[in-house]
Amino acid sequence: MGKGGRHAYAAISLLAAGALVLTGCSEGGSEGTGNDKQDKENAERQQAGIEFGDAKASTGPAEEVAGAKPGGTITVLQRDSFAHLDPGQIYVSDEMALSQLIHRGLTGYKATSDDGKEHEVVGDLATDSGTTTDGGKTWKYTLKDGIKWADGSAITSADIRHTFERLFAPFISNGPTYIQQWMADTPGAEYRSLLKDGPYKGKHLPDTVLETPDDKTIVFKFKSAKPDLPYALAMAGYSIVSEKNDTKEKYDKEPMTAGPYKIQEFKSGKSMTLVKNTNWAADTDPIRRQYVDQFNFQFNKQYEDSTKAILDDSGTNATAVSFSNQVDAGNLSKVLGDASMKSRTISGYQPYVGQMNINLSQKEMQDKTVREAIAYALPVTPFVRAYGGTDAMEVAGGLISPTVSGYDASFDPFGKKKKPAGDPAKAKELLDKAGKSGMKLTFGYINTPEGQQYSTAMAAGLEKAGFDVQRQEIPAETYYDQVSRVKNNFDIFHTAWGADWPSASTVIPPLYDGRQIQDGASNYSHINDSKVNADIDKASTITDPVKAAEAWNAINEYIVKDVVSNIPTAYYKQTQIAGSGLGGFVYDDVIGGVDPRRLFVK
Amino acid sequence: MLRFLFRRILGSIVILILLTVVAFLLFFGMPRDPALLMCGKTCTPEALENIHRTLGIDKSIPEQFWIFISGLVAGRDDFSQGPCPAPCFGYSYHTNEQVWSTLLDRLPLTVSLALGATVVFLFVGLGTGMIAAWRRGTLVDKSFTAGSMVLSSMQIYFLGPLAMAVLVYQTHLFDEPRYTELTKDPVAWFTGLIIPWVVLSTIFAAQYTRMARSSMIEQLQEEHVRTARAKGMSRRYVFFRYAWRGSLIPIVTIIGIDLSSMLGGAIITEYTFGLPGLGHLAVESVQFSDLPLLLGVMLFAAAVILLCNIVVDAVYAVIDPRVRLS
Repeated sequence: MGKGGRHAYAAISLLAAGALVLTGCSEGGSEGTGNDKQDKENAERQQAGIEFGDAKASTGPAEEVAGAKPGGTITVLQRDSFAHLDPGQIYVSDEMALSQLIHRGLTGYKATSDDGKEHEVVGDLATDSGTTTDGGKTWKYTLKDGIKWADGSAITSADIRHTFERLFAPFISNGPTYIQQWMADTPGAEYRSLLKDGPYKGKHLPDTVLETPDDKTIVFKFKSAKPDLPYALAMAGYSIVSEKNDTKEKYDKEPMTAGPYKIQEFKSGKSMTLVKNTNWAADTDPIRRQYVDQFNFQFNKQYEDSTKAILDDSGTNATAVSFSNQVDAGNLSKVLGDASMKSRTISGYQPYVGQMNINLSQKEMQDKTVREAIAYALPVTPFVRAYGGTDAMEVAGGLISPTVSGYDASFDPFGKKKKPAGDPAKAKELLDKAGKSGMKLTFGYINTPEGQQYSTAMAAGLEKAGFDVQRQEIPAETYYDQVSRVKNNFDIFHTAWGADWPSASTVIPPLYDGRQIQDGASNYSHINDSKVNADIDKASTITDPVKAAEAWNAINEYIVKDVVSNIPTAYYKQTQIAGSGLGGFVYDDVIGGVDPRRLFVK
Repeated sequence: MLRFLFRRILGSIVILILLTVVAFLLFFGMPRDPALLMCGKTCTPEALENIHRTLGIDKSIPEQFWIFISGLVAGRDDFSQGPCPAPCFGYSYHTNEQVWSTLLDRLPLTVSLALGATVVFLFVGLGTGMIAAWRRGTLVDKSFTAGSMVLSSMQIYFLGPLAMAVLVYQTHLFDEPRYTELTKDPVAWFTGLIIPWVVLSTIFAAQYTRMARSSMIEQLQEEHVRTARAKGMSRRYVFFRYAWRGSLIPIVTIIGIDLSSMLGGAIITEYTFGLPGLGHLAVESVQFSDLPLLLGVMLFAAAVILLCNIVVDAVYAVIDPRVRLS
């Protein structure tokens, strides 16, 4: 997912879609005890990976949180209201966090440690994470007994079929499209032709694609192996929709829920109240708990507002938290520097990796030596500093995040971790070698306070190496529109991207597949390298997650080191805070933020 | 008087129509493609085309404008989200909610904020201004004048967080700003809006102090006032009977402008305190490039301003008969 996506970046980057990724960082990990230690921890976590759970692991109830007790009300202070509640339309991180409480899917991520760092994919509504006998082309799921909608009606395979069939309807335009494309065996938007009106005009997906032989059995059939299906099904965007209660577009405001909470009241842009779903059965759910009586959401709380309110810690603020707001940059150092405040925080990685794109469509940028000079010269420190320092950003070596399998902490071909301010001497040498000293370099930057700040300092760093940098501001609202145009005149510009699940299969193909260069697409640097394209095809068919991770990482290293089309800048981190009256406050690596399913009032 | 009002209303309608045309062409005629906002991460030309059809922006701009105007007058039932009764501004690109119902939903907060603040700043501003004029040249006058100079140079985004830090988080004297419907809980409505009222009115009150003072001093120097005093009428009587009424004429005009601006959305105040009124909605619509919503907020604010101007003109005519005659 793009950080900021193609939506209004502006003051809000909520449209950074998707957060269901494995993210790694220890509590207080942003304290700055040294990158080496942290990198080592990250690497160890990645080696563990996320396994697919069996029937036993998929059986509820979820393990109790130590010290938890039922009752109470939690106040949730959010910056942005929820634009979508229809699972098929959910693809942004704050809606995904809400989804953990109200929606359920065939599979889900179950935390297997109390610190939110270890997980496995288990059956949520299904009895297990899925069974395949042909390497991932056919996947079979069986629904559990006793699973119900909030209105008390039973969840059946007809609902599951309906859930996937409606994703082809034209009004579903915001959610993930992985499974639809796999079903239709086609990339891009052509998948819709498989069932262009969805199930609403009497047509259905053929049994050769999706089979529901009885009330409890669902069989997915793909033309090629899709080993990542259990991960994909765990995305909030593939949570289930009630066939009986489907109101099409209106479902987006009043969905039928199946999770431990249901929506009592939602005033878009103002507030939301969640109350217990009495038809949710804990023994069918290995992932969620239902400790709190009520969640009261208040919207329009900027990061600074929510931080101050929670620091206040009186009245309802003592049991307040935010699912998405971070501790604001202005208060971050103060909060982390005070033991009593810090004890109420959690820290971890966000799914995004920042990168400076070198536009390979620009003539001057086709010289690899010039690109290497840019890579060495580019200072990353200004970017890190602009977004709140090392508590909020970590200098990146590669394009695969610490949250994704295959991450290699030691990979840093341009020495950015040791020299985050850049290496202008080396860059100058390369630029002279290329005979391009003094060449013009057009730097498109986002016109936000942070963009202004880091672009100025980055330009100064590049000029030290001999570039004549021309900064061109791009309005925040149209930033991604402009940089995703194939014909743009920027030589370099910064973007960020996050994985949808802990595999680089959701990073490398959309960003670096040369066959996906088109207006609006995400191959921002226009890399079209035959080796990369071929390796993507190969890696996509590897069913062993460990081998697949190695293959994806090899592509990452080749792009950064040999193609030099994208210069990694930073791994995004965040720190969140809660009132002292809350328990079960844990940073969940998969959610990429606080785990709302564990929260309780002390 | 009726003819005067009729002329004003007719003029306002013409302005509103012109504004609608210009705003529509500006928003919908610009090269930006709103479909890109909804296209998701795996956007393709086909996906874009599909969204164009869904949003109805695959049609020509004149055609879209005609549909828009027809919708405002007669409503529309061609939205996939459901029927849209008149006045139909369409559905938000971002939230898929009817723009008109969203505007109506946000209006009570903005009205509460604007009217409450107006009461406070009129009471304080006019009161201190009149006192300063009454006690011209004294320490009281100088204090009020100096105070108003300082306060009028303040900004809401400075005073707001400061008031929150001191009055809410440190001393806990007031509740956090929050909007509760007046009909649901009048006490919570009142306590939740005190700080925004005070902050918003502080800046306005300072301006009104200076304005009321100078206007009153000017009036006190008018010939008819001096004549009244020369005829032996008491200072208090002349002050309130003659000077007060005359001094209100310029102030009423400014009140109308300020009130209409606030009713169109006190953007900075609402944003500073996280209050979901029309001003906040305007910011949201810009952030999300939500053109139907942006157009709706803008036209709604314009209509409010025009309406307030009509009311001000009427009040002006009541206060000053010369206006009616002109």
